[in-house]
Amino acid sequence: MTVSFDGVFAVAYLVPLFPAIAFVVVGLFGTRLRRLEWGGWVAVFFSGLAMVLSLVIALGEGLNPGKFTDQTYTWLSLPHSGTGAFPGGFSLVMGTLVDPISALMLVVVNVVGFLVMLYSIGYMHHDKGLPRYYAELSLFLTAMNGLVLSDNLLEFFLFWELVGVCSYFLIGFYYEKPSAASAAKEAFLVTRIGDVLFLLGIFIYFAVYATAGAAPGWAASGFLFTSNGHPFLGTLVGTNTPLLTVAGLMMLAGAAGKSAQFPLHVWLPDAMEGPTTVSALIHAATMVAAGVYLLAVTSLFLGFTPADQLAIVAIGGFTTLFAATMALVHRDIKRVIAYSTISQLGYMVLAVGAGFTMVGLFHLWTHAFFKALLFLAAGSVIHAVGTQDLFRMGGLGRKMRLTTIAFAVGGLSLAGIPPFAGFWSKDDVLGSVLSQTASHPLYWPFFLCALITVFLTAYYIFRAFFLAFSGAAPRDASLPEAHEPPWVMRLPLVVLSGLAIVAGLLVFIPGFPNLLPGANVPPTYGTADLFLSGLSTALGVGGIGVAYSLWGNGRVFALPESSPFQPVRRLWLRLYFMKDAYDWIGLRGVYTIARAADFVDRYVIDGTIHGVERTFAELSRRLRKIQTGVVSDYAAYVVAGLAAFLLLLIFVAPWFLHAWGV
Amino acid sequence: MTSLPLADLLGLSAALLGIGLFGILTRRNFILLLIAVEISMNAAILNFVIFSAFLSGDAGVNGQAAAVVLVGLAATEVAVGLAIVLALNRQRGSINVAEASSLKL
Amino acid sequence: MFPVLSATLILLLVGTLLTFVAGERARWVALVTSFAFLGLAAVLLYDFSGFAVAHGIELFVYPETYTWISLPWMHIDYAVGVDGISLVLILLTAFLQLATVIYSWNESKKPGAWFGLVLLTCLGCFGVFVALDVLLFFLFWEAVLVPMFFIIGYWGGPRRRYAALKFFIYTHVASIVMLVGLLVLVFYSGSTSFDFQSLQATAGELAVTAQVFVFLALFFGFGVKFPIVPFHTWLPDAHVEAPTGGSVLLAGLLLKLGGYGLIRWAVQLLPGAIPHVQWLLYAVAFASIIWGSVVSLAQRDLKRLVAFSSINHMGIVLLAIALYSSLGLLAAVLLMFAHGIVSALLFMTAGTVHHSTGSRDISKLGGMTPRTPVLATTIMIGSLASLGLPALISFPAEFIALQATWVGIGYWVLVPLIALVVTAGFYIWMMQRMLFGPPRGLPEKVDDVPRHEGMAMGILVALTVVYGLLPFLLVNLIVSSPVVGIPFP
Repeated sequence: MTVSFDGVFAVAYLVPLFPAIAFVVVGLFGTRLRRLEWGGWVAVFFSGLAMVLSLVIALGEGLNPGKFTDQTYTWLSLPHSGTGAFPGGFSLVMGTLVDPISALMLVVVNVVGFLVMLYSIGYMHHDKGLPRYYAELSLFLTAMNGLVLSDNLLEFFLFWELVGVCSYFLIGFYYEKPSAASAAKEAFLVTRIGDVLFLLGIFIYFAVYATAGAAPGWAASGFLFTSNGHPFLGTLVGTNTPLLTVAGLMMLAGAAGKSAQFPLHVWLPDAMEGPTTVSALIHAATMVAAGVYLLAVTSLFLGFTPADQLAIVAIGGFTTLFAATMALVHRDIKRVIAYSTISQLGYMVLAVGAGFTMVGLFHLWTHAFFKALLFLAAGSVIHAVGTQDLFRMGGLGRKMRLTTIAFAVGGLSLAGIPPFAGFWSKDDVLGSVLSQTASHPLYWPFFLCALITVFLTAYYIFRAFFLAFSGAAPRDASLPEAHEPPWVMRLPLVVLSGLAIVAGLLVFIPGFPNLLPGANVPPTYGTADLFLSGLSTALGVGGIGVAYSLWGNGRVFALPESSPFQPVRRLWLRLYFMKDAYDWIGLRGVYTIARAADFVDRYVIDGTIHGVERTFAELSRRLRKIQTGVVSDYAAYVVAGLAAFLLLLIFVAPWFLHAWGV
Repeated sequence: MTSLPLADLLGLSAALLGIGLFGILTRRNFILLLIAVEISMNAAILNFVIFSAFLSGDAGVNGQAAAVVLVGLAATEVAVGLAIVLALNRQRGSINVAEASSLKL
Repeated sequence: MFPVLSATLILLLVGTLLTFVAGERARWVALVTSFAFLGLAAVLLYDFSGFAVAHGIELFVYPETYTWISLPWMHIDYAVGVDGISLVLILLTAFLQLATVIYSWNESKKPGAWFGLVLLTCLGCFGVFVALDVLLFFLFWEAVLVPMFFIIGYWGGPRRRYAALKFFIYTHVASIVMLVGLLVLVFYSGSTSFDFQSLQATAGELAVTAQVFVFLALFFGFGVKFPIVPFHTWLPDAHVEAPTGGSVLLAGLLLKLGGYGLIRWAVQLLPGAIPHVQWLLYAVAFASIIWGSVVSLAQRDLKRLVAFSSINHMGIVLLAIALYSSLGLLAAVLLMFAHGIVSALLFMTAGTVHHSTGSRDISKLGGMTPRTPVLATTIMIGSLASLGLPALISFPAEFIALQATWVGIGYWVLVPLIALVVTAGFYIWMMQRMLFGPPRGLPEKVDDVPRHEGMAMGILVALTVVYGLLPFLLVNLIVSSPVVGIPFP
């Protein structure tokens, strides 16, 4: 079918623009509306428009895959100068790039975004800060869509920072709570470390590629991914210089900050201080996936060196297991899911690092839906019982049938049980990493990490499931009577449940694979691959089984005090002491240095100045004593001076004259 | 006519200067102080006159001119000095310079 | 051609004089003058023939030269003219003058003198930016000190006398060293003219040692204004004691004089000395960047915090200048404009915080957001702009500066990058303590932003956003100047 979608692609900028309108309207007038909810509906409406447009764009890319760019807006440009590092000058543009993967991301962002917006109408209805909430959420959608549609690294970074700030404000939404304000700060600063390294990577890429293209009159066109629909930056130079390895590592650092990979993962669990809806949208489905998207874009347009790939696989693979272990023991339902998110992001990073970018994005796609579903289901539980402590819940399955089903669907999908969405993508990830072990034996340990995590994942998510929903009644009798949420909250749960079931199967529909060229084709469909699928399914089922045997009766399973696992459990509960270490570095280390520096500034640097001042003051205080005010004394000084001058003239001056040869 | 040697004449003016300086350093009475200043000033005038006599031409005339100007200057100085003496006497009833030290810091 | 630069000078002069004698009506005179100034700046922009400059036809536009003192051995002109660099800073002067006048609209302590001194400061800055003759430049340079001395010394806080004197002595000692450098430059290069362009032609004939000496003298003179570590301690004291309007002018304009002077009178005149002193410039720049950001972390007074962050930001300006590349100089000018707007905004918020809560102590205040939402939002915007959030004004400037640093000195760029994290750290931490959390240290009745102060901050917020989204408005001005065409070593 050859329908031209160029007209639609050309207005792709409307996708970020729609929420931007909502941001302005709700931000400026939200508090003046008679009912605060109306502002929410405005935001829902505009995010709905954005969703429709992104679905059309995705349809267009599915039918007619290709790259469409619009690079008409010049942000700033330096003219041709003939000298310097950029003899042809350069121009930085802000444009849109519509290609299959950005279309895919648009669907993820806007579908989940719309559903979360709708859900929030119910979830947040009692909150006075509703206009602020919807304004910030709309701004987030704007920035996230802008990031997805970026056609160059600079623009990418611009929106990257903006989503970070939105995340900062939304984590700190309940800013009266000191813990929320602290978590927001932590999130901003930890990701900031990744961001500045990302910036360094951008500098390196720009300098390298701009120099490589420095033909006479060639304007280094900023950081463009494509030019006239063809990959631009990557074609200019080879990909295996030490400098490019460093640049790739910097991209990894940026991605690790945003996607909460080890060792910059500490902020994400604390980010759960924000409203659950925010966790679902920003800290599960979209923003944290931006790091993976960055890696994907980098590998597609810039290319990683083999050393980079190994580093990425190492980070991703290690994080997968590392985060999963911490999810095993926590009692806070949102934190369990947050550690799970870190772990699943590790899968995506792992796949991208192994060279299977599309597999990583496929997992991003399915994960967005089932993880958002898990969060929204958890939100529904929290909405009903008012606590996040799993040990106080229990028996909710009887009261909240829909929520229970939704959580179960999300859990099964996460655990990788066929035919749920998670199975297909996780299986692809495992397969792709396994295929790479042939090329480099160092991939083996990280493949094993990923494999073990399959079991752990199934265990911890069903531990949470059984703790919340099984049993006869809540373990804490003081909890309020649970109830199903209103329809605005039920509808997103239903839709996302559907997506969590079918999102993986979509690859069998013609057209959809165009959005993920290569994702539905694991390395081989040989026996080894089928064996792997069977193994991972078995591990998933095994994890669920263990969880059922320990927690299925609706009681809290207490590990005996004498158990050899106790130290490990404590280590996990203390998050491997990493947060303590970071707090120590931040408070004891940096702040102490700052205090010392302040002391030096006040008393050493300024003290030196004051010392000079005091010396002169003291000197003049002593010298002025000779000013007696008596005329005769002054006359005596005059005479003494005269005498000294005469002596000088008679005895010293001739010596000088002689020395100069006069 | 024989003239005295230059050295003797300069010795005279040096003696005058010495007397004047001695007076300036030792006297506490303002009027005596002024007289001592006049004496040392006269030593300078005498020097001009002496050198004008020993030099010829323009240089000699210049010395005499300077002497005349300095005589005038000395007169004005005494006038100002005596005015200060009067003011001091009226204000404090004393012309002891050691007591007039209120301008010091 | 209409002498628009002289006309602006006369306008400011007349405005200043009228303001001094206008008494209670001073604020209106000052306002009208500010708008007229802005209008003339717009005329300058509109008529700016950057093309001629870029192609070497003319070095400076709107040139005016009248002989002032002409002796056989010395020739001093009244010479003015602008290029893209000075134009950007003139624009900044006009914006900040207007914002300051509006912000301090309700000044009740000798309003005539207050507004007169504010206008006089801006007049001096404008003069510095347009003067193309050593003596004229020095005249305006010194003319800025006097009004600022009185602004701090009369309208300031409890330790105002100390701060004013410290400010004056520091900057004056620096000025004298700078003057010595400039005079050595004039007389030893064999030139009799004090004019910038003839100096530019003759300065290269100085021996390299002499060039280095002159450059160091000028660097010290301009550097104290920056201020560079370790000659920076006057700045926090001056800011803490200065009234808000004074802080705005001090951070927004006076610090820029140092950067502008360094570019115009040191870098452009003595490029031969740069390879010999570059290491020193880098060292001082890195010291200022690190010191400014680290010491900021320990500050409890909001104004002191912003003051130290200014040292950090001006350190990046120095770094960009020291790179001696077209990209670096572009970045330096952009950064100065950005820092002028953002630090002015932050000092205004600090002033308003002080008015409405009676304190500026970060560790004692808390939870301001629900009580003073507008003020809190403005503080957030200012802080985020200062830490380099994209879409706000500092980002393009810092981005280009750091890109230039990478191109120039490679991995040393990590120093300012790490400082960026620390900068984010102290702003975010300040926001956490002051704006979020449970209310703390707030009086019973807290006023949100008063109308005039809000208008002034609104102007600056708008500028922050507009120039952040459309940085080419400034970049196109700057790159039309020949300084950007200097060869890259």
